[in-house]
Amino acid sequence: MKGWWWKGLSVVLLLYVVLVGLHTPLGPALVYASLDRIAPGPITVGATGYNTHFTKETPQVWLENDGYRVCAAAVDVHSDVLLQATFNVPPGLRSNMTSLWAWDATDGPVVLRDAFFTEELGKDLQGAGCTVSTTERSGFSFPNRTILNETIRNLFFHVPMWFTMMVLMTIAFVQSLLVLRKGNLAHDRMALSAVDTSLLFAALGLITGSIWARATWGDWWTSDPKLNGAAVTVLIYAAYLILRGSVPDPHKRARLAAIYNIFAYVLMMVFLMVLPRLTDSLHPGNGGNPAFSQYDLDSSLRAVFYPAVTGWVLLGVWAYTLHLRTARLISIADEANDR
Amino acid sequence: MKLTIVKPLMAVMALLAWPVSTFAASEAPGWLQERMFASGKINTVVMVVGAVLIGIAIWMFALDRRIGKLEKNAKDKK
Amino acid sequence: MRTAEIAHLLRLEWQLDRRQKHVWGSMALYVVSTIYVCYHGVRHLTEVPIWNALFWIILLFAAFNALVRSFQRENQGRQLYLYTLASPRSVVLARTLYNGLIMAVLSLLSLGAYALFIGGAPLEAARLDIFLPVVVIGGTGFALVLTLIAALAARAGNGIGLMAILGFPIVLPMLLSLMKASKLALDGMGWNVTGQYVLWLVLIDLITVALAWLLFPYLWRD
Repeated sequence: MKGWWWKGLSVVLLLYVVLVGLHTPLGPALVYASLDRIAPGPITVGATGYNTHFTKETPQVWLENDGYRVCAAAVDVHSDVLLQATFNVPPGLRSNMTSLWAWDATDGPVVLRDAFFTEELGKDLQGAGCTVSTTERSGFSFPNRTILNETIRNLFFHVPMWFTMMVLMTIAFVQSLLVLRKGNLAHDRMALSAVDTSLLFAALGLITGSIWARATWGDWWTSDPKLNGAAVTVLIYAAYLILRGSVPDPHKRARLAAIYNIFAYVLMMVFLMVLPRLTDSLHPGNGGNPAFSQYDLDSSLRAVFYPAVTGWVLLGVWAYTLHLRTARLISIADEANDR
Repeated sequence: MKLTIVKPLMAVMALLAWPVSTFAASEAPGWLQERMFASGKINTVVMVVGAVLIGIAIWMFALDRRIGKLEKNAKDKK
Repeated sequence: MRTAEIAHLLRLEWQLDRRQKHVWGSMALYVVSTIYVCYHGVRHLTEVPIWNALFWIILLFAAFNALVRSFQRENQGRQLYLYTLASPRSVVLARTLYNGLIMAVLSLLSLGAYALFIGGAPLEAARLDIFLPVVVIGGTGFALVLTLIAALAARAGNGIGLMAILGFPIVLPMLLSLMKASKLALDGMGWNVTGQYVLWLVLIDLITVALAWLLFPYLWRD
């Protein structure tokens, strides 16, 4: 079973990713408030939670405006995810955005940030208002972020595709260098297999990204440096295949394809690294968006994301070796036929 | 041929449906569950995982065909 | 590196092209007729983004047209002859630099013709001290990238069709950043905003020349 352990490892890791990645619940959060603006005076707000446990113990509910808290006068729990709170909003809140908070021992603090537009501002209120508990909840869950919600799980099925693609393209790049050094057709075959397989993962990355973008940004395709980079990458490798198709002599084909691959790979890497830093992007870590490390601050995501990347990359390399071995057999058969 | 595909397909679908059924179902009223489902967007995750599996399956079929040709070639030789 | 050899080859290129006057005529005519066709399509453009995009697209196609002949004009015999006389690295460096110079001139000429026909209104508010260098760097950059691609396509024995397919994806990143940089310059932004784009474009140009220098000997060999 020599040489099999990493294939098994990829399967085990991906199994872990599917099970834990899909089965871990999202952390509780507030997702919806029945009002979108508040004014001084009594108000009643319905709040919808997600994966919350309001019925276990009536939660504390409060409004927070620029550090000043207004606790609910009455809280009426309808179900685990639905409650109604009545507030006496004092005049003179400082900020025009007010957040809605709730806390109970099971769920910890949950918040709907900037839930209400606030009318009749002033500067009279001093201090922090009423006191509330902020004890954090314990337990393993993924962060529940606005807009992303459950789709945060796609992190394990979309992002690793690009990692895998880059690994395979790097293999192709190294093999192309070897083609030029040694003039060996075996290396050319490896480069071609790596490119072929990397295009599978590029396609998967584009499709999954497109589905995810539709659900979060509302469009199948947005003009984003990451997407432009991906499109350019796919075009370059399509051109690589066309170049190969147009040269009949195998040795010349190997050399020309290797030269193009090296040229394209280096320029593409520079492009992928530099351009997103220069322009705004919807992707985390670019432009005005929070960095990926901030997403991963939650160690729960990291505990699945790293195995996911490793698992997918190993699976990609496995696919590459299968492709390569088939190509090798085909070329042996072709040689035998020619003889 | 058809029968051999059905079982793994059902297993995959069950695997996909499992997380949906475990946390989408709560005691919430129907309209609310619908809302939650919309805001939870678990369907997107199912679609993404499904797309990945379909993509890999298509790739496997392509490889299958290549190997099939090889086999035919070897058989013709004999 | 043999500076004298490269200088000699540059002079050789220049003399060869000077003898073939129709080459210059064809390049100029291509640009002018493209711009003239666009003029009939759009008349005067005052919207900066469209003006900017159209200009770069015209320049890109002009570069393709000008460079496709770069490695095709010589037959196998002359290539072999050059090979025995000079090192392939000198040849590619000389030709890359020569093409870069030609495209620098051609891009400025195109800008003149473009402003004349399509309208120079967007230039009035622009920072010309940034816009003109960006145009020159862009034109030169197209030439640098496409020289190696032209050599590849010529060696593959397939002319303009293959060159377009191989060249577009590689030029695209450059084109995107060029459009962005020149758009900012047209909007009157200063060096503090456009500087990083210009730096990045110069970086691409340098990397391209280095890659051409490294890879060309393998292309040359038969």
